[in-house]
Amino acid sequence: MNWIIAIPLLPAIAFLLTVCLPRSVRNKIVMLPVVMMIASAVLALVGLIKVFPGGEIGHSIWSTSWTLATIAASPLKLSLSLDPLATVMLVMVSIVGSCVQVFSLFYMKDDDRKGWYFTVLSLFTSAMLFLVMGADLLFIFAMWEIMGLCSYLLIGFWYKDEAPRKASQKAFLVTRAADIGFIVALAAIYTQCGTFDLATILSSAASWAPSVLLVVSLGLIWAAMGKSAQWPLMVWLPDAMAGPTPSSALIHAATMVAAGVFVLARMLPVIALSHIGLTLLTTIGIITALVGGFLACFQTDIKKMLAYSTISQLGLMFVGLGANAAVPTLFHLTTHAFFKSMLFLAAGIIIHATHTQDMRKMGGLARKMPITTVVFSIGAFSLAGLVPLSGFFSKDEIFASVLKTGNTTIFALGLVMALTTALYVSKAWFTVFFGKPRTKGVHEGTALELVPVSILAALTLVLGFFSPAFARFLGHEGAWPEMGLATISSVVTLAGALIGFFMYAGIIDTEKLSHRFNILTRAFNEKLYFDYAYDLIIIQPYMKFCDLCWKFDAKVIDGIVNGVSKAYVGLSALSWSFDGSVIDGAVNGCATLAKKTGNTFKKLQSGRVLNYQRLMVGAVVILLFVVVILKGA
Amino acid sequence: MLTLIMLLPLVGVLLVALLPKSREGAAKWIALGITGVDLVIAAIALLQFKFGAGMQYVVKFDWIQQLNIQYYVGADGLSLPLIALSALLCFLAVIASWKIDVKPKFYFAMLLLLETGMNGVFSALDFVLFYVFWEIVLVPMYFIISQWGGKRRQYASIKFFLYTFFGSVFMLVGIIALYLKTGTFDMIALQAADLGAGNIFGFQWWIFAAFFLGFAVKVPIWPLHTWLPDAHTEAPTAASVLLAGVMLKMGTYGFIRCALPILPEAFGWWQLPLAVLGVISIVYGGIVAFAQKDVKRLVAYSSVAHMGFAMLGIASGTAAGLNAAMAVNIAHGLNTAMLFFLVGMVYDRTHTRQISELSGIATKMPLFAGIFCFASFASMGLPLLSGFVGEFLSVVGSWSSSVIPHWLVVVAGIGILIGAAYMLWLIQRIIFGDPSPAVEKTADIGVRDVITVAPLALLSVSIGVAWFLLLNYTDPVANALSKVIGG
Repeated sequence: MNWIIAIPLLPAIAFLLTVCLPRSVRNKIVMLPVVMMIASAVLALVGLIKVFPGGEIGHSIWSTSWTLATIAASPLKLSLSLDPLATVMLVMVSIVGSCVQVFSLFYMKDDDRKGWYFTVLSLFTSAMLFLVMGADLLFIFAMWEIMGLCSYLLIGFWYKDEAPRKASQKAFLVTRAADIGFIVALAAIYTQCGTFDLATILSSAASWAPSVLLVVSLGLIWAAMGKSAQWPLMVWLPDAMAGPTPSSALIHAATMVAAGVFVLARMLPVIALSHIGLTLLTTIGIITALVGGFLACFQTDIKKMLAYSTISQLGLMFVGLGANAAVPTLFHLTTHAFFKSMLFLAAGIIIHATHTQDMRKMGGLARKMPITTVVFSIGAFSLAGLVPLSGFFSKDEIFASVLKTGNTTIFALGLVMALTTALYVSKAWFTVFFGKPRTKGVHEGTALELVPVSILAALTLVLGFFSPAFARFLGHEGAWPEMGLATISSVVTLAGALIGFFMYAGIIDTEKLSHRFNILTRAFNEKLYFDYAYDLIIIQPYMKFCDLCWKFDAKVIDGIVNGVSKAYVGLSALSWSFDGSVIDGAVNGCATLAKKTGNTFKKLQSGRVLNYQRLMVGAVVILLFVVVILKGA
Repeated sequence: MLTLIMLLPLVGVLLVALLPKSREGAAKWIALGITGVDLVIAAIALLQFKFGAGMQYVVKFDWIQQLNIQYYVGADGLSLPLIALSALLCFLAVIASWKIDVKPKFYFAMLLLLETGMNGVFSALDFVLFYVFWEIVLVPMYFIISQWGGKRRQYASIKFFLYTFFGSVFMLVGIIALYLKTGTFDMIALQAADLGAGNIFGFQWWIFAAFFLGFAVKVPIWPLHTWLPDAHTEAPTAASVLLAGVMLKMGTYGFIRCALPILPEAFGWWQLPLAVLGVISIVYGGIVAFAQKDVKRLVAYSSVAHMGFAMLGIASGTAAGLNAAMAVNIAHGLNTAMLFFLVGMVYDRTHTRQISELSGIATKMPLFAGIFCFASFASMGLPLLSGFVGEFLSVVGSWSSSVIPHWLVVVAGIGILIGAAYMLWLIQRIIFGDPSPAVEKTADIGVRDVITVAPLALLSVSIGVAWFLLLNYTDPVANALSKVIGG
C-alpha cells in the first residue's frame, strides 16, 4: 500500500512546483494544485475502501519510518502510519481541501496573488494530511507548526490592510505561546522514553512517574488550547476571519483548529492517566463552549458569528475528550468539519453577492439565491443539532458520553450551549434569508462555487446515519442515540430556535433587554474584554518592559563597559605619569601632569590599537604572576 | 588539506598586496577565486570525512621544540562543519562586497586574512597555534569595521577589539597556566591530563573561569554582549555576516573544544551558571531586540538570544544539548548571515535601516520580501528549517539534564516565543503595509543578490528537513563528550 503516501505528497508536490515560480507563471497554473488535491481525495477514498472494515485506533495497516538523525548514537526515527483513524481523517481533510480549492478557483480569480494563495493552501493541506498520518509526536509537531505558518500567511494574505496584518501576527503568536507546551511535553517525553514514537509512548505511559504524566498532559493540553482556540486563548480565531473566506473554511473551521483535538484524542490514554488531565479538559471545554456560544449570539458579522460558533463547537469536543470519549469526539470533529466548512463557503457566496459581512444588511436572500439558501440551511440546522442531520448525531453522542461519566452539571451546561447554538443559528438564518431584501443586485453563486458546497451539504445530510458505522470503523461499539436523550436535546434545540425566531421577529424586544442588562450587553459586545485584558496585562507591559531593558542595556551594562574602559585609560595615564615621576626623580608641576595625562588620554582615545595591545600585554604579565602565585599556593 | 584551506587565503593576501595600484579592481577577482577554491576544498573535506572516526586530516610536527609547541591541525565533526561554513560565508561575503570601491586592495586582503584566521581557529589543536589564530582574526575585522563601517565605526571597532582582546587575555592566562602545570600545549593530550578535582577556587575552576571569560565575550553571553550590537551594526554587510555567522561560533567552539573536555570536573560546577546565563541571554536578547529601531541592530541582538540556546545546550552536558549547540552554530550561521545580507541589500537601496522609515517592502520588492520572510522564519526556529534543530534539541537536552531545573528550561521555551514576537513584528512593520517614501522608488533585488542568499536558504532547508546531514558529523563528538562530562 505504498501508494498511500501519495495522498499527503500530491499537495506537497504542488507546493514545491509552484513556490519557486515567478508570480505571473504561478497565477496561470492554479489548476495544478487543484488537480493534485482532487487526485489526493480520490486516493483517500480508495484508501478508505481498502482499510474497511477498520479496526482499533493505532492498529497500523501501513507504516514507514526513516531516521532523522542519530543522537547519543541511537537513531531518532520519524514515522508515518495508516490506522483507521488516520484513514478517516485523510478522507475528511482531502474532501474538504478539494472542495475549498475548487471553490477558490472562482472566489479568488481576480486576485493578483491567487497563485500564491493556492501554493500556501497546498502546503497547508499537505501538512494536515501528514499530521493525521504522523506516528510520532515530533513529526506531528513539525506539521503542526507548518500549519501555523500557513495559517499566518493566509490570514495576512491581504497584507496591505491593517486588520489582516494584525490578525495574522496575533494568530501566530498566540498559537506559538501555546506551542511552548508542546515543546516542553516533547522534552519530557524524550527524557522519559528516548523516543517520540506514539506507540511506544502509549504503551509505556502507565509506568511513568506522576510528575512526567502531569507535565506531558498539561503541555499538550495547553498546546491544543491554542491551536483549537479554547478559552482563554481563543482570541485569535475571530480575528483570523480577516483572511480569504475559503481559507477560513479549510483552516479555521474544518482542519487546523481541529488538529488540537485530534492530537489530544491520539494522546488521550496518557492524559487519562494523569490526575487532572480529564477534569481540566472538561472544564476548559465547557467554558469555551459557553463563552463561544454566548459571544456568537452577539455577532452581527456573519463570519465572526461562524468563528465563535467554531470556538463553541471545539469546546464541546474538549468536553467529549474530558469524558474520555475519543470516538464520539472524533465523529463530531468530522461532521463539524463538513458542515462548518460548508457554512463558511456558503457565507463566502453570500458575502460576494451582497458585498457585506453584516447580517443586518442582508435579508430576503432566499428568493434570490435558492440553492445557497438550501445548502446553508442544511449546514445551519446541522450545527443547531436538528434531527436527522449529522450534527445532531455527533453532538448527542458526546452528551451521552458525558452522562455516562455521571457529570450532570456538565451535561446541563452542555444543554445551555446547545440552546445558545440553536438561538444564534435561527436568528441569523431568519435575518439573512427572510424579510425584506436590503441589498440590490443579489445573484446566485456560480456552479464552480455551488458544486463543492453541495457536496459538503450532501455529506452533512447523510453522515449522521453512519454514526454507528463510524464507531465500528474505529473499533468501537456503535449505537444509535437513545430516545430520552434525543428528545431532551431536540426540545432544547427547538426552544433555542424559537427564541431566536422571536428575537428576529421582534416578539422578544432585544433592544429593551439589552438596556436592562446593560453591563452584560456591553461585556459581550466587547468580546468579554479578553482582548482588552491581554492588551493591558501582557502586550502593553511587555512593550514597555522591552524598552526598559533596552535602556538598561545601553545605560547600565554598556555604561559599565564604557566606564571601566575610561577608568582604565585614566588609571594607566596616571600610573604612567607616576612611573615617570618616580623613576626620573623629577617632580613636575601639577600643570605638566595634567597636560601629560590629557595627552595620553587623547592618544589612547584616538584609536591606536597598538597602545591598547601594549597595555593588555602588561595586564597579562600581571595576571600571570597572580596565577603562578596561586599555583604555588 | 586543512593547511591548504588556511594558507590559500594567505597567498591571496599576498597576491592582492602585490597588485599595482592601477589594477586594484582585480583584487575582488582574486578574492573571489581564492575563496571559491577554498570553498571547493572545504566541500571535498566534508564529503571525504568519515563519520565518527575522530580527528581527521591531521598534520602534526614540532614548531618550537624548546617550548613543546607544535604545528598541530585536524578536524572532527565539531570543527569541520564550521570550517565549511566559514569558507562558504567568506565566498558569499566577497560576492556581497562586489561594489566596494574604497581601497579595494586593502579590503579584500583583510577579508582573506580573516578567512585564514577563522579557519585556523577551527583547525588548530595546539593552544599556541589556536591563540595566534584567535588574535589574528581580530586585526582584519578591526580594520574592516574601522575603515568601511558606518557612522560610529571608530567607537565600535575599538570597542570590539578591546572587549574581545580583554577576554582573550584571560584565555591566554588559562593556556599558560595549563602549560605550566602539564608542560604541553596539545589540546588533545590535555584532555587526558589529570588536573585535579573541579571544586570551587581549585586549579581547574580557575582555568575554567579564565576560559569562560575568553569564550563568553566572543559568544557573547550576557552581560558581556554589548560590543556585539555596536560592532554588528557599524560593520559593513560582509563583516556583519562573518562576525555573526562565524566569529561568534569561535566562542561556543572554544567551550566545546577546550573548556569541556579538558576541564570536565570544573564543568560540573560551571554547568548551572552557564545555563542560567544562557537562558538570560535568550530572554534578554529577545526582549532588547524587540525594542530596537534599527533593523540591523535588531538582528544583532537576536544573535545574543540565539547563541543563548547554544550555551544552554552546552551547559546541559547531554548529547542532545551538545548536538544542539553545534546545530545552533551552523543554523545561526546560515540564517543570520542571510538576514544580514538582506538588511544590507535594503540599506544599499534605501540608505536607511530605520524600521520607522521602511514599510511596504513586499509591494515594491516581492522577491526580497519572500526571501526575508523565509530567513525570518528560519531564524524563528520553525520546524523543517535549520533554526528549529538547535533550539529544539537545546530544550530537550537541557530538560533531560539532571542539573538544570525544569522551570529554567520552560523560560528558555518562552524565549522561542519572544523570538517569534520580535521577528514577526519586524516583518509586519517593514515588509507589509503601504510603501514608505524610502521604499517607494526602489527596485527589487537582482541576480547577484539572489546568488548570495540562495545557497544559505537551500542549506537551511536541507538541514531542517534532514537533520542527519549535520548531526552525522556532530553526534559522535557530542556523544563522546557527554560521556566524558557525565551528562
